[in-house]
Amino acid sequence: MKPELSVVGKRLPDISGVEKVSGAVRFISDISLPGMLIGKVLHSPYAHAGISQIDTSEAEKLRGVKAVITYKDSPQKQFTGTLMNLQCVEGIEAFGVYDRLVLEDKVRYVGDAVAAVAAIDERTAEEAIGLIKVKYEPLPAVFDEMEAMKNDAPKIHGRVQKRQADGFPGEAIVEKNIAVHVAHKPIGDVEQGFRDADYIIEESAYTSKQRQSPLETFHCIAIFDAIGKLTLWTQTQLPYLTRRMIAYIFDMPEGMIRVRNEYTGGAFGLGLAVSREPICILLAKKTGRPVKLIYTRPEDFVDRPTRSCVGPYTIKMGVKKDGTITAVERKVIANSGAYVECSALSGLIATSVANPLYRRDSYKAEIDAVYTNKLSCGAMRGFGNPEETFIREQVMDEAAEKIGMDPLEFRLKNLCQIGDPGTFGPEFPLTSIAMADCIKAGAEKIGWKEKRGKKQQGTRRRGVGVSCMAHNSGAYPAHAEISNAIIKFNEDASVTLTVFPASIGTLAFGTLAQIAAEELGLSYEDVHVVWGDTDATAFEIGSHASRTTYIIGNTVQRAAAEAKKKLLKRAATKLGVSPEELDIRNKKIFVKSKPEKIISAAEITKEGLYTRGDVEQITGTCSFRPSTSPPPYQAVFTEVEVDTETGEVEVVKMVVVNDSGISINPMVVEGQLEGGAAQGLGYALWEHPVMDNRTGEVLTTDFDTYKIASTLDIPEMELILIEQPEPTGPFGAKGVGEPGCVNQAASVANAIYDAVGIRILELPMTPEKVLKELKQNQNASK
Amino acid sequence: MHRKIRPFELIEPATVKEAAQLLASHGDKARVLAGGVDLVSRMMRWQIKPEYVISIRRIPGLDYIEGDGKIGLKIGAMTTLRSVELSQVIERYYAILYEAVRQIASIQVKTMSTVVGNLCVSTPASDIAPVLCVLEAKLKIEGGKEDKIVAIEDFFVDVGKTIVEPGQIVTEIQIPAVSLQTGAAFFKLKPVKASISKVNAAVMVGIKDDTCNKAKIALGSVAPKMIRAMRAEETIRGKMVDEALIIRAAEVAAEESKPITDLRSTAEYRKEMVAILVKRAIKAALERASKSEQERGKQ
Amino acid sequence: MKKELATFIVNGEQYEEAITPNMTLLELLRERLGITGTKQGCTGSGNCGACTVLVDGNPVLSCLTLAATVRGQNITTIEGLAKDNVLDPVQKAFIDYGAIQCGFCTPGMVLSARALLNRNPNPTKAEIKEALAGNLCRCTGYVKIVDAVLAAAKNSGKGG
Repeated sequence: MKPELSVVGKRLPDISGVEKVSGAVRFISDISLPGMLIGKVLHSPYAHAGISQIDTSEAEKLRGVKAVITYKDSPQKQFTGTLMNLQCVEGIEAFGVYDRLVLEDKVRYVGDAVAAVAAIDERTAEEAIGLIKVKYEPLPAVFDEMEAMKNDAPKIHGRVQKRQADGFPGEAIVEKNIAVHVAHKPIGDVEQGFRDADYIIEESAYTSKQRQSPLETFHCIAIFDAIGKLTLWTQTQLPYLTRRMIAYIFDMPEGMIRVRNEYTGGAFGLGLAVSREPICILLAKKTGRPVKLIYTRPEDFVDRPTRSCVGPYTIKMGVKKDGTITAVERKVIANSGAYVECSALSGLIATSVANPLYRRDSYKAEIDAVYTNKLSCGAMRGFGNPEETFIREQVMDEAAEKIGMDPLEFRLKNLCQIGDPGTFGPEFPLTSIAMADCIKAGAEKIGWKEKRGKKQQGTRRRGVGVSCMAHNSGAYPAHAEISNAIIKFNEDASVTLTVFPASIGTLAFGTLAQIAAEELGLSYEDVHVVWGDTDATAFEIGSHASRTTYIIGNTVQRAAAEAKKKLLKRAATKLGVSPEELDIRNKKIFVKSKPEKIISAAEITKEGLYTRGDVEQITGTCSFRPSTSPPPYQAVFTEVEVDTETGEVEVVKMVVVNDSGISINPMVVEGQLEGGAAQGLGYALWEHPVMDNRTGEVLTTDFDTYKIASTLDIPEMELILIEQPEPTGPFGAKGVGEPGCVNQAASVANAIYDAVGIRILELPMTPEKVLKELKQNQNASK
Repeated sequence: MHRKIRPFELIEPATVKEAAQLLASHGDKARVLAGGVDLVSRMMRWQIKPEYVISIRRIPGLDYIEGDGKIGLKIGAMTTLRSVELSQVIERYYAILYEAVRQIASIQVKTMSTVVGNLCVSTPASDIAPVLCVLEAKLKIEGGKEDKIVAIEDFFVDVGKTIVEPGQIVTEIQIPAVSLQTGAAFFKLKPVKASISKVNAAVMVGIKDDTCNKAKIALGSVAPKMIRAMRAEETIRGKMVDEALIIRAAEVAAEESKPITDLRSTAEYRKEMVAILVKRAIKAALERASKSEQERGKQ
Repeated sequence: MKKELATFIVNGEQYEEAITPNMTLLELLRERLGITGTKQGCTGSGNCGACTVLVDGNPVLSCLTLAATVRGQNITTIEGLAKDNVLDPVQKAFIDYGAIQCGFCTPGMVLSARALLNRNPNPTKAEIKEALAGNLCRCTGYVKIVDAVLAAAKNSGKGG
């Protein structure tokens, strides 16, 4: 029976709202410290070059310049920017490669860091950058992943650090520019599965290096104190892993590093990497002053890791006439860019997210992460899922068409059920799945029956399409996923909740406060959240893989339960009853069988702090690790109109039906889905990062050339939240952050097919591409 | 990777004559500041580094929209795009100019930018240029040896270059009165709504006794500067216009275009789209031309 | 480069500052006056709108405005919207309707919305979208922002 909830499930405005709306909230870009210098980076104009000489003398002479650093100042320890590679004791996951230095005498993409300056102001720093004289020895560069694997291709890396049998990093030589080759454990026998199939569908897709493009660009501040302890303000989503990585690079003990976080102007995965913080730290070390490193918008586009860009991503599927999926084989060649960062990891996630979605007899997947002289692929919301879903959901539609089944019927027939193996295998079975409800509700809302497969005349044609997906709620067991929460009661029976999720706009503090308040019988305003400082909080992995609500939420709920237990125990002694007879609501502790027998919680909490007797600061703590990762599910239905003369695709309507279990705050969940949808549509249709294929220079460097959605681009959207409780989630909740942007590309692609009978397997689906396909299709049918 | 503007001297003359003299004496070391959106943006990005910025913002009497469709329109050098958008006279008599400005997405940019400034930037992607061209607009250029009046289509030389020489300032846009039985239309394609066009087309046609007696077709984003598709105009001028002729004219216009592949689109696509947009624009312009007599009758 | 004293009126307060011609209004606000609510989101693209302030009630991009050109004019930043600690109806609606996520675009967005309601107290959804098309948001997808402005218009047409 669903208990009556008074805080969870409510559309409460976020506690940071007043600050944010009045300009009072502080971002790292707003921070100014006494004596602070501004740091700027010199970027490489070459895609691949050695550096034989750097003359910094003129830059150093410029008035106001306090330090110039080059590869000569850099620690010689190779590392990877990708912090998830540290989510294990050994410090390097199977798919991680330590392949970069802070500054090196080699550059591997246009935009790579060469040197840096710290000066009294930004103007001086910019001027000084221009005075650094670098002698480059250009090398041949390679941008195409297939070219990069050829025997005569330029060698981008020599020696790197990879995971050894004992789990620790050890040296390895890179062959054929392949950073990582990794395969999932096969299930069944795909060759047999293809033999058993009546039809085989095979497609390859090419997706884009979408940019996270948060409104706040990269900023960080580093300052050493008198005893050499480092404080680092970063836009991180993974604070303690940042601390560990910095400790590793600079050979410092973790205790001498303090990572601090302010509100961040968006991240969408950028906070999962250490990028240029080490440069900032070197400048702070050299000058003995606080240094703030600033990136302009073009620098953000040119030197921060992108969405994983795969090409080609191949799916081969065998189906029987009755709709059974006999085999699915995936082969991913990931163009990783110059440093492998997240490429292999997102490939692994991408090729496994469908495990808890559709049943299939056999499965095989392998990934090659290939080095090229392009900007690295890092983490972006969805983390491989948008790429996989773009092609898989089109293959599903093709399979349905081959066997003559309605695409919805085909999906419904093959959906996983509760108890089926989850993403990570049969040891982690599914405990909730409302995918069928999502499909049915969405189909009705979009008008699937009335609109699908309609013959049309005229130059504007309409169609409807669907895409379904499953994601994660945290990455256990693939990663160590630890969270900690501390709750302490104040005199007034309010609590202070100490946690450290990311502050990137997901409104996590409010969500966690709601969970704590509900568990403790307090109101939302009674929970004060402390965050943002590794010296003041307990260890926390942070926010990634849509883990915050599910994992940190569970942690907070348990910490709250413990605090409540102690509170009631103390109150029970005072009232002369047993603790089991008590409960708390609205800061009043009452006897359940005699609700009129009340004592105020504040009386108990205050007494414990000021008594001459039995003192107690009533706290609750929890160190938590989940035992599974229940997938959130989602269906997106879109109706499009294709102008067959121009190839323009207009999304007329979009219906998003999401299953993230119970919503702790429906307004927050909606916000994640709406924002995600705008990014998903951008990925599908108009976000087009462009690189000069001869030089490797990124040409889309600001919002006039890289177009993200404005108010005018958002179609009519309907959201439906299916709230099937997840038994292992806090108050039944699952992951929320990423599903929003996963389905749009496939849904639109499938709708285009319904409208005009062409299939686009390259992103973005620009009018130029659509028109080309339309013409080829017309010619083919003549 | 810069965003700090490098040093320059700001001079704020009080008259057009003074401004012209300053521009003459400083030559290519000087730039004009009107709205500033384009100028400041380029200075932030270190694309240009003028030593002198001559502001015309404090010169009185440059912000005006005078006249109407019967006597013709005059727009001053400091008139903003936003003023054009809010002008009922322009919306009524010069609808395509209103439409072209209306679909510029940012109200902040429209509030700051001037119409004349938009032209002087000389980007082939300007929507204003082809629209003013088919409206047969002229520009008044003061300074230099003598003041002159120049047709819009003779104003642009290349990307970022107009016929304005050091010591000269564009002070006014002059649009002639709207003739009876004419109609104009403007179509464009953009990557997203808040973006500059990847290809655009403006058409003006006049109808008398079922015959097209006037035709002007201007194209943007398909050459280093705005072009008039004169052969396409000849295709329909003096003829009775039917569907087949419209399509033919549109194809000719496409042949006349010389688009390139850039960040917004490809050359092939742009060329094809010229035909589509011109076809649509001619049809819409004809429809407006036949309506205009009825509307004129109402006044 | 010449430094000159100039008077600026920001949120009703007068400031006298020595400025150089190459100082933008955004730099004046953030770096000189320490009023950091107004943000920089791009490098002069003219698209992002994070630097939006009101000059004599009109929304402009402060990163593309030379400070010297707005001396003596009334400049309103996000800090100047609330009166006597009472939030403007637009600010209140943004909070109540969940129109804020990371908060970085919020100052510019709120000011553009306030300017809209000042000139058009009862806008349609389409008019709201048009008025905010020069303010980019990467977090919200704009849905709740439009809802909030609509609600603010219903609750009170004029500014506080």
